[in-house]
Amino acid sequence: MARISIPTTARLPSSLRVDPNNSAVTKILSRLTRSSLISVALDWLDEANISLAVPYLRDDDEDEDNEDVDDFYPAARSPRALIENYLSLQERKGSKREVLDRIVEGDWRHGLTLYQLAMADLQYLYDHPTSQKWSAYRIMPLQAPHDPDGEELPEVDRLSLTVPRFHPSTFLKTLQSHVLPDVKAHYNFDAHRSLPLLILRIFILDSPYNTNHALQSGSTTNFDSSRTVYIAFPDASPYIFISKPQSTTSTTSVSSTSATSAVSARGPTAAGESKSLNALLVEGIPKSLSRPLCRERFTLQSTDLVTRNLAELVERRGGGRTNCAGGGWSIYADEGRGGSSGERGKKRGRKETPLDLVLPSPPLSELDQDQENLDPGSAAGRKGAPAAAVLLTESERRSERATKRARLVAKARFGETGMVRDGKGVERVDIVIEDPFPKVGGQEVGGEEDEGGEEMAQRDSARSDPKGGKRKSRFDQILENAGENEDDEEDDNNTASAPTWRPHVKLTFHGSHVFAGIRQLVESGVIDGERMPGWMTGEEGVTIGAVRHGRIRGYKGSGV
Amino acid sequence: MESNLDDEIADLQAKVSSLKTQLRVHTSTLITAPSTRQLLTQQQPQQKSSKSTQDTQNRDRDRLTNSADQHQAHAQQCLYRACASLTTFRARDPDPHAVDGGAVLGLRIEVVSRSRFLRPYYVLLNRPYQNQTQGRGRGRESGSRRLRVHRHTIPSCVPLAGLAARYLPGPAAKKAVSGGEKGGDGDRAKDQRRGKEQDLARFARALRRELVRYHHRLGVVADLRKAAELGIEKDAERDAERGEEEEITEGESTLERRRNRLVDITPADAGAKQLTIEWADGRTGRLVMSDDGDIVKLVVLGDNGRDWAAGRDLLGGATRVEDVIKRLTALA
Repeated sequence: MARISIPTTARLPSSLRVDPNNSAVTKILSRLTRSSLISVALDWLDEANISLAVPYLRDDDEDEDNEDVDDFYPAARSPRALIENYLSLQERKGSKREVLDRIVEGDWRHGLTLYQLAMADLQYLYDHPTSQKWSAYRIMPLQAPHDPDGEELPEVDRLSLTVPRFHPSTFLKTLQSHVLPDVKAHYNFDAHRSLPLLILRIFILDSPYNTNHALQSGSTTNFDSSRTVYIAFPDASPYIFISKPQSTTSTTSVSSTSATSAVSARGPTAAGESKSLNALLVEGIPKSLSRPLCRERFTLQSTDLVTRNLAELVERRGGGRTNCAGGGWSIYADEGRGGSSGERGKKRGRKETPLDLVLPSPPLSELDQDQENLDPGSAAGRKGAPAAAVLLTESERRSERATKRARLVAKARFGETGMVRDGKGVERVDIVIEDPFPKVGGQEVGGEEDEGGEEMAQRDSARSDPKGGKRKSRFDQILENAGENEDDEEDDNNTASAPTWRPHVKLTFHGSHVFAGIRQLVESGVIDGERMPGWMTGEEGVTIGAVRHGRIRGYKGSGV
Repeated sequence: MESNLDDEIADLQAKVSSLKTQLRVHTSTLITAPSTRQLLTQQQPQQKSSKSTQDTQNRDRDRLTNSADQHQAHAQQCLYRACASLTTFRARDPDPHAVDGGAVLGLRIEVVSRSRFLRPYYVLLNRPYQNQTQGRGRGRESGSRRLRVHRHTIPSCVPLAGLAARYLPGPAAKKAVSGGEKGGDGDRAKDQRRGKEQDLARFARALRRELVRYHHRLGVVADLRKAAELGIEKDAERDAERGEEEEITEGESTLERRRNRLVDITPADAGAKQLTIEWADGRTGRLVMSDDGDIVKLVVLGDNGRDWAAGRDLLGGATRVEDVIKRLTALA
């Protein structure tokens, strides 16, 4: 441990110990359950990690008598003994407090390293996968600057064929050089346990020192949970997911720094500070990915997908085939990985090899229904139906047919997506409808039928709603983006000649799995599946979007 | 007891579905056979039979012919797909607000890997620019029938967006004049590009090329791993550990070889153009290959900085990754 603390630009070392009485330590550790606490402790004692998580051990040559009799948690002699200790704790039942005290007051009484804290925090993330709100950004290549002064803003190079590449240690090195010297951060990489993701945890401290001095309690109001930022890099994919700090709900995006500053002016100063720290960090990310020497510069572009569900993010912005084939289009991307049971997976995953001469049964035909009967969920609901079919009256039979048809339509529109149990749900979708009000006697406003179905629809209440004000700026931005498309401008010219009333309609869908909810409504016949606009199937893969001509105009709503 | 019954039911259901599959296989084999075809198309001799039986016969025959036609069409499609590897089809967008009445043109790109057809990649294109110009009654102009990528299942390591921007540019901007004033060179270049003709054939070719290259690179990585015996490494390691006590007096060369063993080869980027190579003694290397599998660069880092000798050892003057595979196989 260094004796002298001098201001430096280096990052916080992983081996830096934090006083166990620090409120942050208690906070991070006490969030975990007993079992994960024990498993984290065992992870610390693992051979690979123990160098960065050295426990408090007794010296071998030290006298037995020397031992402090008052010590409630006598120090162990070797890590091996400790491991056995924790294994025995794992076997028997007990309170969480017992383990927590043991860690804080016993085995790591001399302090927990930042690395340990990072591991504990990540464990919490795995235990509670929806604890963070992630927004997806696309890494876009930039054109090489034309003028040497670099005064004009670099443009996105749409012709470029480079796929951004990501190298963790280089990335960290460059990111560190972009962080201001009076901010210290601790970085920790971890591969996600179940998803193809690499998670980077960044823990930000407000201090110029990278030694113990930075952690002295009372020096700053540091150790705020909002200062932990997670960045997730999906494997083989030019996207990046950035978590938003929990305490702040408004949208912080790279492109809307002005909006951020406006918000921070309103909020309490502490929140504002931490937000600007985050903004700095987020700005540093594309620069760290860029390699100016190789003439590769990148920028981040928001993809209007914000969710707590990492699985959904990997599905829609990952390295697989499902990125741009959501909803009913998912049948084209289906690789048979969806089926949980072996047989089902085989059947569903139509390989579609041209060497298979068997006529493929069209989707929704007899074979597929056989499959559905095998599904435990659907079979239970319809068990009695065929037997009683004879006794049905005409109207009942009609309704039976209608439900069947609704189910088929739902299958056609949603494909294999939007299942309640697929674990890939978004919890909030915001839609602005920009279509002109239909003429009297014409068709109804798109999306009107769904208001009753889902929770709430806001009409023109944006200005009075304090939360809506912030969101509005985001919407306006999208509208500006959409306006950049020339074809949209043409439309504007077109409609300008005949002034029409365009009510400001905003729809917000809330729920644990929004599109599964809509699917269920379609299946039960509340929503007419055939007339339902495409954006309600979630096939665009956005959670914020503007609808024009019945089609979503989010960021590159369709295709590329 | 109950679970037993459930298992039985599940078994039976599995049997039913497997029998159904068999039935379908046999149907398609029989119905596409030339002799069946001949029988169906043959004019049946008029027989003396009641009218009702004749009706049923006719109906059955119609159904059979219909089914035979379908199978024939499917067989033809399969033939095209197997031979051409780049086929098109028509699809319909279920969205009631879809552009162009929901008409969608699908590109199907077959990829073969390890002598197997993989699931094809799809690109679905539509014509979003068409309706507007027609609706205004200006008639069709050159830009109106332009295609745009609507949906696709291309993995994100293939630069589809760049290819689409190159070969399928959107229609020329209406406000090109006003935009040109304020915009710089970039804007003008963009406008020029946007007005250019679309070339679907070149787009499809370029895209297929990228996809096939990608799969070849993946295949090469798999071959490399096989050549370095990474798949069976687990067993070998266990054997080695077991035999360690007995073989304390093993030769210098064996030790050397063990130290030089490769322990991991993994693609390091999305497009599998860069490989991370790890040696048993902790050295790591990075192999960069070009799109087509030519070796661009190999850097090996050991404990004391760059290890030139190891790099030379691995490559041995090879210029392509396949040569490295051959070398490794020969060494093993």
